[in-house]
Amino acid sequence: MTNGSDRGGPDAGLGERLRELEPVDRPDNGELIDRMFTNVKSKCDKSDKTIAGFFRSRSTTVRRLIVLAVFAVLAVAGWSSFPLVDESLRDPEWLATLVAFFVLLIVAMMMVTRPVHRPELPRWQVACLVCIALGATVLAAFWPTAGAHAATHEHSSGMMAGACMGFGLMLGVPVYALLRLVDRGNAFGSLVAAAAAGLAGNFVLKAHCAIDTTGHVLLGHASVAVLFVVGLGLVHRWIPSK
Amino acid sequence: MDAYIEGSDAAFRMLFERYAPILLRLTRRHLRSDELAQEIVQQTFFRLHGARNDFRRGSKLRPWVMTIAMNLVREHWRRKKRRKMTSLEVETQAAPEPEFLPLEIRERSKLLHEALDRLPTSQREVIELHWFQERPYAEVAIIVGTSEGAVRVRAHRAYATLKQLLTSEIHGDE
Repeated sequence: MTNGSDRGGPDAGLGERLRELEPVDRPDNGELIDRMFTNVKSKCDKSDKTIAGFFRSRSTTVRRLIVLAVFAVLAVAGWSSFPLVDESLRDPEWLATLVAFFVLLIVAMMMVTRPVHRPELPRWQVACLVCIALGATVLAAFWPTAGAHAATHEHSSGMMAGACMGFGLMLGVPVYALLRLVDRGNAFGSLVAAAAAGLAGNFVLKAHCAIDTTGHVLLGHASVAVLFVVGLGLVHRWIPSK
Repeated sequence: MDAYIEGSDAAFRMLFERYAPILLRLTRRHLRSDELAQEIVQQTFFRLHGARNDFRRGSKLRPWVMTIAMNLVREHWRRKKRRKMTSLEVETQAAPEPEFLPLEIRERSKLLHEALDRLPTSQREVIELHWFQERPYAEVAIIVGTSEGAVRVRAHRAYATLKQLLTSEIHGDE
């Protein structure tokens, strides 16, 4: 037992009182430890045989590299399959928005892949990231790029918003699944992964969608992040896990 | 730990036998439920198994397992709070004091537990690790993820609050 007075602990009176709690500890018999070990071992063996178990047991550096590699593959595939927005729309604001989404995506990825042997992140940090992610996607709607209005006249805004939303959701799902696959069970992991999925969807939409009116971006782009966070993140958090 | 990382089951068992009793004591006092404590300890080793490739040769394992366990305990309380457990349910959850102890000691230990329960979680875990687990402040700081100075402040406040809560009893003993 700690000698409190030597190490900045309680004084003698309180120390004596705290010592009384020690007899409450039950002796841990070998049978109990054996049973617990058998349970843990079988759970570990079962997990080692699954894909998630394989990814989660990689070192943190490897897991992060895997995620970055998949992001890169998705980006290259998107780039080669769909044209980027017209060159006239690629102004500094457009680039800044993409950079902001990418940085937030990386921060979210780092949070999800945080090693479990480190103290969990304070709740306010997670809340901040989710709010900034949602805020950034909404803010992007009020930051139109030069020449964007010309493009919008050619499309039916509502229909295109629906198409963008569907496309964004479709793109976010693999990102969410990947992050959940490498998440070792961090608190709020699902919420952060949902925010990351929303950001990934918005990143791709920003890069490829030429319609930049506030209404369209709010309905078709920002809604992707909101739906992910509300739909996947929060629902997943509130469903009691095993 | 090195042998365990290389896949030795015997090494895993040895680690389990060494650290499970320590973790059981740690979690029992926090959760006051044997069943929950056992579950958290098993989950701690399951997570340790997943994180084993992050372990660096030469580092200490004890802060690792304690950090994982404390994270799980915090998560448990958060989930419980979310489910809006009533105070009545909390009381039924509390583990009974062992029958073999005299009634007076059981009563005193109950009062002490109640005083500990009234501390904020951040202070309580510092007391648990520093006093009951005998970890130095520097190690406690690593486990709870803050500076040593902040841990000292938390401990000082916690001991002061505990003393205040138990003052009448301590004077009674004298």
